[in-house]
Amino acid sequence: MAEAIQKKLQSELEKYQQLQKDVSKSMSARQKLEAQLTENNIVKEELNLLDSENTVFKLIGPVLVKQDLDEAKATVSKRLEYINGEIQRYETLLKDLERKSDQHREVLTSLQQEYQRAQGRAAGKV
Amino acid sequence: MAEMCSEIELPQNVCRLREEHKKVVGGCEGQIQHWKKLTADYESLQARLQTLPDRLSYDVTVPFGPLAFMPGKLVHTNEIMVLLGDNWFARCSTKQAMEVVEHRKRHVKNTLEDLEKVAKSFEDRLGFTDGADVLGGKGDYVDIREELDDEKIPIKGERRVAHRPNSKPKVEAVLQLEEAADGGRQRGILSEEELWVRLDELEAQEELMDEQDRALEGPDGIGEDTTSSSSEEEKDAGGGRLTNGLHLREAWPPSSPSEEEAACVPTIYFSHTVEPKKVRINTGKNTTLKYSERKEEAKRKRRNSGGSNGHSLPERARIRTPADVYRVFVDVVNGELVPRKSILKSRSRENSVCSDTSESSAADTDERRGPLRSTSHEEAPQSDASEGSPEEGAVPGRAPPTPGPSEAFSGTVVEKDPGLQPSIPHLTITPPGLPTIPERKSEELAPEGPPDPPKRVSKFKAARLQQK
Repeated sequence: MAEAIQKKLQSELEKYQQLQKDVSKSMSARQKLEAQLTENNIVKEELNLLDSENTVFKLIGPVLVKQDLDEAKATVSKRLEYINGEIQRYETLLKDLERKSDQHREVLTSLQQEYQRAQGRAAGKV
Repeated sequence: MAEMCSEIELPQNVCRLREEHKKVVGGCEGQIQHWKKLTADYESLQARLQTLPDRLSYDVTVPFGPLAFMPGKLVHTNEIMVLLGDNWFARCSTKQAMEVVEHRKRHVKNTLEDLEKVAKSFEDRLGFTDGADVLGGKGDYVDIREELDDEKIPIKGERRVAHRPNSKPKVEAVLQLEEAADGGRQRGILSEEELWVRLDELEAQEELMDEQDRALEGPDGIGEDTTSSSSEEEKDAGGGRLTNGLHLREAWPPSSPSEEEAACVPTIYFSHTVEPKKVRINTGKNTTLKYSERKEEAKRKRRNSGGSNGHSLPERARIRTPADVYRVFVDVVNGELVPRKSILKSRSRENSVCSDTSESSAADTDERRGPLRSTSHEEAPQSDASEGSPEEGAVPGRAPPTPGPSEAFSGTVVEKDPGLQPSIPHLTITPPGLPTIPERKSEELAPEGPPDPPKRVSKFKAARLQQK
């Protein structure tokens, strides 16, 4: 009885740990996205400040490619939207993972209690 | 705060909390440092940018790879490629570059301020934990506690005392009540029980009677007019029974409510009892005819080649629709099943239990009933013994018509029944001398109409006459 509970506990624990890892990964990805968001916002502001006499370049690999100012602005805007969307997606994912992890946590606690009870019973018998 | 739950827990929680706080504060501190460095860098950059366009070119030592330097010149001092972020570059003048730098510095400054705020809040929390230690009583602060003294608290009103489980007055009251209730209940029970017991007894008697009827297979039939729907079914057999029933009633003055039955005694069945379905019919002489389904069944059973006595019950049980009634309650005419004529028809007077005997109708019925009677005789005609004898008295009132070949008396008792459908009971005298109620033919009584029998004869006399 106790062994069975122990095994169950182990499996639940692993699941829970896996979930936690997923949560942390999602968190980090989201943080990165947030950084990019701020950066792109700055770029957008700067581009607005520039006028057409300045040439804008985009670094693609080792190459600096000349870009049109308006094109650059548009590109940056699109990138911003994309980043926002990604952030939303990660938000939902995180929520879902949180919920699952909570469930697993409850299961774990209950299993732990059972295990303790079993242990106590076994100790009592012995 | 969590650390203020209890004194005992304070040290542990406080320590842990303090550690956490410290961690956070340390992280904030690190970041603050980082940002501060950045700020410094930007400021120096700004300074450089300001001085750069002063000259057209600068002699510099240009680094070649990680290990070499080369002398070189710095030209286009006003053209600066600015990294806007996210791999975007822009060519700007120094002044524009400076503006960009200013922007960045602003951002850095904001971040720095946030971090500093966080650090400060955590430091404050740390301070709280220190204060909690102090609250524990280690310092000048003392936890004020005041124990509540229940006794000294004035209680308004009387104190409520729990009732003792066996307080005497309470018990007595209960006892009295019970007595009263018992008395009343007993009285009521007696009456109820009495009724139930009587009902049971009567039902038992009823069953006994039925068994006896079947056993005897006497001429007595207990068919009587029914006020219920079964009245229509009842025909000759019913009439016979009616006669018997009436005789019974006359012989035993109305003891209607009683359910006493004696063995082989005309039975008066309660109309409200389930089993013996008796229906009273006012026959105009303050007599009521009772029809018993069971007797009907028994009679029919006997009629039907005296088949196994067990048929009647199932047969009766099979009645589920009105059609079944017609099907079940049939007369056996010459061995064939003929549906009974309704007792409501004038002809039914033959089977009525009225004491009046209508000779004409009796004659007709006798003629028709001859064969019937014979068959009924052969089949050990039914009719309860109780009803048998009295019926016959009424029959001889009229000139006994040609009886059947095997019987001396047609057993017809013609009665006048102005109130109800007068049914002339048919009696057939069985060899043992017990009058039987022959089945009624469908044609009987039809032409007779409702003329009253001219003379009424007592059943006993009629029986005697018949037997002579």
